[in-house]
Amino acid sequence: MIDEATKFLLTSQNADGGWGALAGKRSNTEATALALLALLAISKNALEPAMRKAQTWLLKRHNPDGSWPLNDTLTTSSWSTALAIIALNASGDFKEPIVKAGNWALEQEGSKPGILTNLILALTFQKKAVQLNEDLVGWSWTPNSFSWVEPTSYFLLALKKIRRHLAAKSIAERIQQGEMMIYDRMCDNGGWNYGNSSVYGDRLWPYPDITAIALLALQDHQERRENQMSLRALGDMAKYTDSGLALSWITICLSVYDQDSAQLRQRLGERFAKTKFLGETKVIALALLAMNDGPRFFRV
Amino acid sequence: MNRREFIKASAGASLYPFLNGCEQQVRWEKDAFIKTKRSRVAILAAEQYGNSLRDTIRRGVEMFRLELSGKRVLLKPNLVEFDPKGVINTHPAVIEAAVDAFKTLGAREVIVAEGPGHRRDNEYLISASGLYDVIKEHRIRYVDLNTDDVRLTRLKSSFTHFQQLYLPETLYNADLLVSMPKLKTHHWAGVTLSLKNMFGVVPGSVYGWPKNALHWAGIVGSILDINSSLPLPRFAIVDGIVGMEGNGPLQGQEKKGGVLVFGGDLVAVDATAARLMKIEPSKVKYIEKAGEFLGNIRREQIDQIGENLEPYQQDFRVIDNFAYLKKLVG
Repeated sequence: MIDEATKFLLTSQNADGGWGALAGKRSNTEATALALLALLAISKNALEPAMRKAQTWLLKRHNPDGSWPLNDTLTTSSWSTALAIIALNASGDFKEPIVKAGNWALEQEGSKPGILTNLILALTFQKKAVQLNEDLVGWSWTPNSFSWVEPTSYFLLALKKIRRHLAAKSIAERIQQGEMMIYDRMCDNGGWNYGNSSVYGDRLWPYPDITAIALLALQDHQERRENQMSLRALGDMAKYTDSGLALSWITICLSVYDQDSAQLRQRLGERFAKTKFLGETKVIALALLAMNDGPRFFRV
Repeated sequence: MNRREFIKASAGASLYPFLNGCEQQVRWEKDAFIKTKRSRVAILAAEQYGNSLRDTIRRGVEMFRLELSGKRVLLKPNLVEFDPKGVINTHPAVIEAAVDAFKTLGAREVIVAEGPGHRRDNEYLISASGLYDVIKEHRIRYVDLNTDDVRLTRLKSSFTHFQQLYLPETLYNADLLVSMPKLKTHHWAGVTLSLKNMFGVVPGSVYGWPKNALHWAGIVGSILDINSSLPLPRFAIVDGIVGMEGNGPLQGQEKKGGVLVFGGDLVAVDATAARLMKIEPSKVKYIEKAGEFLGNIRREQIDQIGENLEPYQQDFRVIDNFAYLKKLVG
């Protein structure tokens, strides 16, 4: 699988140095950052030119405010900044851009529902739909919207990776806020989905990929009850999961938590043989990270 | 847009559903919409998800004499999420029958596309829901609209602050978009049918999961702005063989409907589908508003073909917040 997946990455790299969501699609920051990490994890000299092109793609698109855009069509700041930080931090001496990006990330926060919205709900006697603490602020997918688990986890990971370069007080507070938000969104029996544990009293279920990403973001609290519960939930989900995305994130997460993931790697290879992960660059890159020494990039 | 402008826009969007009664401003480009005086909607009986669906769906599409020769048809089912114990998704047998029908009727290519609202794991969703086998068997493309290349599209109505939306290129490269929702109640919108199903064409990579920016801008306004501005002709096939009542669109209970609903006026299709659930369409805010400029919702403006509506009406439960939808007008 490793050879075939590596070949896919090399042949699907766009002329501009980036990768798209699928081969032939326009380059985007998420796919490029993950593909760069995957090539780094394989660690072969022959991959150097492709990695340098990817680094250049990222550096050329670094916005003046410190963020990265989604792609060349949407040049405004995006959530994929967190992945660009992780990739550049892993791939060389890029302290200046990642510190700038880190400071940008520290200024971002998800929005809270306005007073007006709450007033309307109260005046119209509408039941509160979700059980979450709206005052806990993480990171959102898009500027000026609500905090969700996946972008918050990416930013926590990125900031924890580069925290030695950032002002200690502001980063500690922001990280703590983000962690509290993630813990608040945990599903009843552990694990996370996009960020709601119930709606109108009906429980929602966790997703394996998001649970693994959240656990990676919270890896420095391994002894906490919530981490242990979610780790058990992830183990249960792993038994019934066979998608490339989920298996890859679970493998990376369990490796970081120093748990055995050999069987998962085998299943990942078998699954790639069957579906080729639908040709999704992001998934193929994550699988390569899981199959190689990629988990180290997510260790904080 | 700065923070203050955003708060103002959000407040406006939040208030919009409650200000309907005193709303006078026309929020759409008058010249862009020419509503037909009458719309045709077909209800066809379909007891179960079996082989006979192929004939039923072909018959339903044929009733509308669509020009399909050489066209690329994009099927947009509802794959927002998957629950092995639930009935969230458009059934793969319905999608498969639609693939077969459009190919048989001359389409050059049929593709299935969705931008799942909650999950980013396409391989899981399409495998677990049974769609993967359909795609393989029929050798058709599945496009993830969440990560597709995008194009900036100017909106033709202004029920939200957006003014323009990034939409997937795949929409621009198709000739017909077929909305294939499940017949379901919805805890934010009242019902989710062919108009609400279009949330799935808005790319998550730009607007987040669960299509968060649209919720913040107002669900009603977002449904209207998306549907007023999609760049291609549309058709709808509603999977009402088994629907969902109660706390939909994810956690509600299964409810047998025994029907498929077809039509080229998505507003009329949704009004009819709502009536099948014994829900008053004129009280569903986005259907009522869409009835002013996008299509027809009044029964006397809808030519009902196929089965009669009344024998197939089922009392779909709604959550308490939407109890008012159950007072039928016509």
